[in-house]
Amino acid sequence: MRSKILTIIAVAAILLLARDIYLITGFPPERNQGAIFKIIFFHVPMAITALTCALVAFTASILFLATKNFKFDALAVAVTEVGLAFLAGNLITGSIWGRVAWGVWWAWDARLTSALVCWLLYAGYLMLRNAIEEPTQRATFAAVFSIFAFMDVPIVIFSIKWWRTQHPQPVFWGGGSFPPDWTAVFGWQMLAILLVGIVFTAVRLRQEQFQREIDSLRREAHAL
Amino acid sequence: MFALMLLQAAPDDAVIREMERLQRNFTFLNSGLWVAWLILVVYVLMMVSRERKLRREIDGLRAMLEERPRS
Repeated sequence: MRSKILTIIAVAAILLLARDIYLITGFPPERNQGAIFKIIFFHVPMAITALTCALVAFTASILFLATKNFKFDALAVAVTEVGLAFLAGNLITGSIWGRVAWGVWWAWDARLTSALVCWLLYAGYLMLRNAIEEPTQRATFAAVFSIFAFMDVPIVIFSIKWWRTQHPQPVFWGGGSFPPDWTAVFGWQMLAILLVGIVFTAVRLRQEQFQREIDSLRREAHAL
Repeated sequence: MFALMLLQAAPDDAVIREMERLQRNFTFLNSGLWVAWLILVVYVLMMVSRERKLRREIDGLRAMLEERPRS
C-alpha cells in the first residue's frame, strides 16, 4: 500500500515537472536578465525544499532526544541527506546564474556564504554519523549536532534582510512580482520539487529501516 | 562616407552583440538545468545502489542465521 502511494506521488511529480518544463520553455526571456532568469524556477524551489528538510530534521532530532524513538532518528537522517542534495542543486544553479548576472561564479556575500556553511554543516552531520558505530550514541550525537546545525537556517533565510548583500531580494514578499501565469507555474514547480523531496525521503527512510534490520540481525548473529 | 558606413554598421553590431548575449544566456540556462537534473539523477543512482547493497546484506545475514542452528 505504502509503495503504491509512493509510486503515485512519484508519477505525479514527474508529470508535473514535465508540464512545468514545457511551460517554462515557452515563457519569453525576462526583460533585463534574459533567459537565465528562468533558472529561478529550479533555484528557489530547491532552496525551499532543502530548508524544509532542515526544519523536519530539526524537529525529528528534538523528538528523538525527547522520546529515544529510533524512527525519529531515521527520519532526521533521511531528510538531511535529501536536503543536502537539494541544497547542492540550489548552490550550483545559483552559481551559474551569478556567472551571467554578476560576471563571477561565486561571491562571498552573506546569503551565499551562509548557504554554503549550511551545506557543510549538514555534510558534517552525515560524516559524524558514519564515524560512530554504536547506534544509540550515534543517534544522540547526531540529533544534538542537527539541532546546532539548524541555527544556520534562519541566518540563510534572513541574511538578505540583515545585511546588504549582492544576492537579490526575494521576488515574493520582497517588493517584486511575477506575471500571473509565471506565478502559477512557479507554484506548481514548487509543489513538484517538494513531491520529489517527499519521494526521496520515503525511499531513504525505507533504507534506514533496512539498516536497522541489519543491525538487529547482526546482534542476533553475535548472540548465537 | 566612413561615418555613414559606421552609422549603418552600428545597428548590425548591436543586433549581433544582443544575439550573442542571448545565446550565452541560453547556454548558461541549459547548463544550469542539466547540472540540477544531474545532481538529482546521481542521488537517485546512489540510493538505488545503496538499497541493493542493503538487501544483499540482509539476505546474507538471514542465510547465515538459518544455517547456524543446523551446524
